[in-house]
Amino acid sequence: MSDHIDGPRQIGDPSSDLTDLFAFTSPENPAHTVVAANVFPTCGADAIFSNAIDHSIVVRRAKVAGVGDATKFETSDPEIRFTCRFDALERGPAGQKPIQRGTCTLPDGQTLQFITNDQKGAATPDGAFRVFAGMRSDPFILAWLFGGGMRKFQNLLFNDNVLCIAIEFDTRRVLDPGKGSLFAVIAETVPRPRAAAFVGHEPPRLDWVGRPEQTNMRLNNEGAGVDDLRDLWNQQTPFGIDEKVRPLFLQRLKDSLANWDMRDGKQDWTPSALAANANMFLDDFMLFDVAKPITDTSHLEIEKSTLNGQPYQTGGGRTVDADVIDVLLTWMVNHDREFLEGGTTKATKPGMRNFPYFAEPNTDLQSVAESVELGAAPERVWELIGQFGGSWHPLIANIKLIGAGIGQLRVIETIDGKQIVERLDALDNSARSYRYTNIGGIPASDYTGVLEVKPKGVGSSVEWRSQFLPNGPGTLITKTIVATLFKTGLESLKSRF
Amino acid sequence: MLEAAEFDDTYFQTTDGDIAVINLESARRRSWSRFYQDPVREGIAETIVEQEQLAAQFVGDLMALDRLEFLAKQLSQANFASKRTALIEARVASTMHRFAEARRHLELAEISGASEADVSRLRLSIDQACGADLDRVLAERRKAVAKSGAIEDQVALGGLLADLREFGDADRIYKQALRNYSDVSPFPVAWVCFQLGMLWGELVLEPEVTCAAEWYEKALERLPSYAKARVHLAEIYLSCGRAEDAESVLIPALSGGDPEVHWRLADIMAVQGKDADAQMQAARSGYESVLERHPLAFADHGAEFYAGSGGDCRRALELALVNVANRPTLRAFEQAHEMAVAAGDARASELLIEATERWGGSVGFRLSSLAKCQLEKWEEAIA
Repeated sequence: MSDHIDGPRQIGDPSSDLTDLFAFTSPENPAHTVVAANVFPTCGADAIFSNAIDHSIVVRRAKVAGVGDATKFETSDPEIRFTCRFDALERGPAGQKPIQRGTCTLPDGQTLQFITNDQKGAATPDGAFRVFAGMRSDPFILAWLFGGGMRKFQNLLFNDNVLCIAIEFDTRRVLDPGKGSLFAVIAETVPRPRAAAFVGHEPPRLDWVGRPEQTNMRLNNEGAGVDDLRDLWNQQTPFGIDEKVRPLFLQRLKDSLANWDMRDGKQDWTPSALAANANMFLDDFMLFDVAKPITDTSHLEIEKSTLNGQPYQTGGGRTVDADVIDVLLTWMVNHDREFLEGGTTKATKPGMRNFPYFAEPNTDLQSVAESVELGAAPERVWELIGQFGGSWHPLIANIKLIGAGIGQLRVIETIDGKQIVERLDALDNSARSYRYTNIGGIPASDYTGVLEVKPKGVGSSVEWRSQFLPNGPGTLITKTIVATLFKTGLESLKSRF
Repeated sequence: MLEAAEFDDTYFQTTDGDIAVINLESARRRSWSRFYQDPVREGIAETIVEQEQLAAQFVGDLMALDRLEFLAKQLSQANFASKRTALIEARVASTMHRFAEARRHLELAEISGASEADVSRLRLSIDQACGADLDRVLAERRKAVAKSGAIEDQVALGGLLADLREFGDADRIYKQALRNYSDVSPFPVAWVCFQLGMLWGELVLEPEVTCAAEWYEKALERLPSYAKARVHLAEIYLSCGRAEDAESVLIPALSGGDPEVHWRLADIMAVQGKDADAQMQAARSGYESVLERHPLAFADHGAEFYAGSGGDCRRALELALVNVANRPTLRAFEQAHEMAVAAGDARASELLIEATERWGGSVGFRLSSLAKCQLEKWEEAIA
């Protein structure tokens, strides 16, 4: 994946793990540029930013210093740095989610306060800067499987969310393109420095990202070397890889790119072109040109044209909807001989035309509710179905209780051989209701179910309802599974009462 | 010995503990979602094992163990007899302290071609937990620390040194782990602080409870959800006559459902003259529930409960014997022997003989309560 989970240290603290970097012209205002970085792959519904990390996006002026096999892009100071910090959580009123505030330090030193997940973000009074931070749908597309050759597949990040930082700024004021319109950008996560740091040295970098897949596909290619160099890479200084380890990384890139070249069984790269490509990738930053169009298909065009000895035509960069993996694979595997398209070219949700441009997160809570009216008194019905381990449901072959009272588990074997494990959370015999959570067996998370019997006329009404976040097979299938379970159970009661 | 204050937040920042727990829970749930989507996809089940272990260890979420059991079963159905499944089943069995089963899965993983490093790492942990071939385990642990410097390797070495009663060395390794730590996750830092609390509060021959309390407090500063640290800190407060402080330390951990929290709270309430029946009942039913589901993982904890205010020394001995049969460490022998003596059970002598045969030559044994008993017996025989 792009830069998702790209080293053991990021797995230790996933909120420091940068997944992707973007640079594009604002769809709302062509005079503005947007740079954005995402962290925390597959982060789940409640994820929040770490308050111990500086999240920075850094832009430097760039120039083409060599073409063809001598391709070289040089960058120069000063750095144009945006740094976001986040606070600890503020507890709000009871029943409401806590809030997290953040501060973005802008290149000119002024600061902009914002509240995480506020879709409007925050802007400077003159409108030159705008910042958003919060959870969004992950726009990354990886629709390939690589084990045993290359196989098209569904998007492996379908329904995933990430934590996103998007910064929009006035291009002319901040980048001064009159002095040159080509720029290089990286993003990095670094522990917040402390005044009297016990460790006695600068805090080591946690992660950084330039072009997609530098770590997971190029440096960690199993076909090109057994040692995992990703943590070593992530601790390098962007725009300034340590001269002592450059040869190590360069050799790994050459081996890796040679391996990618042969993934389709054909050699498309000459040794000199491949070496030039490796040299280019070693200087890992994303190039974008604010004087040319940055489109969904322009990603990597600056680098590729320059390596081919041609003047570049587009602004390169990377938009929210860019299918960067297919662009990259096509380049690495067949040198742009034939476009390689994965199982899909669409992310879970497309980007938006309006700020903050990244789609809303995939967190829609689903519910299923079924009920039945019976002629029997509520007490009689509750006597049958009010036992958490009661065996009355026709789709259940066997049910076993573990433990007693609140917290007990029921292990259900369904008649088609599936296992469902549920925990009793609350029981109110006087109100004839119990509440439970699903531990496993239903393809959903945060699943809470309630079974309740109420008086209705001379008889009773049984209601069975649940709320959950659908997993895996998708909303419709999960809802169908749950609804079938509820309906069949409730319908079976009609013949008993 | 360095003071715990040396590692204050002024010097050493980690992600706020509440944020880290929310993010762990969030990521854990999402991992399950991905598992349902594709149960056999490499990396997902492995990540879930790590996340559930973190939830069990640091959030006191005992249901994590049930979810792990469920994971192993589902994976086995979906991907039977693969090296990955065998390795994950071994990790899950080991987490539940079903070490013999874990070894069987490891053998299968090895035959199926699992990575030698993965197999060796887990086998080393099982050997350490079972007190098997500790000289070799110690050499391997030292090698791992020298090679990786990773905090988990340092904590494992510190734990082994503490088991071997090399308390000074254990203290040094733990503090070295803190000094070298350069990440922002609070879990490893809280873990090391907790280990230092255990070392100075419970393992050394003459406990230094003030020092231990400082370390437990440090662990809780990093991670307020750390139920085990709350339990141990509350015990110290209670032993120092600070019942109210002990109670307020424990209350936030009640929602996790750990029976030890209910047990210790019952003890505190009894000291305060309050009605502790409900808490003691919750503790008893909680222990029986977890013992039914995961008997080997909770045998030693259950034994402690029944030997204490759980008030059933026969049940305590029964559980301690289960534990010593499963993992015949010096500490397990000490516990079982102590409980056999308390129950007036003849097996006390057999345990002493077996412990002497197994551990008699070690430094740890000479410093243990078993050595003292053996000496008394020898003196009785002479007289």
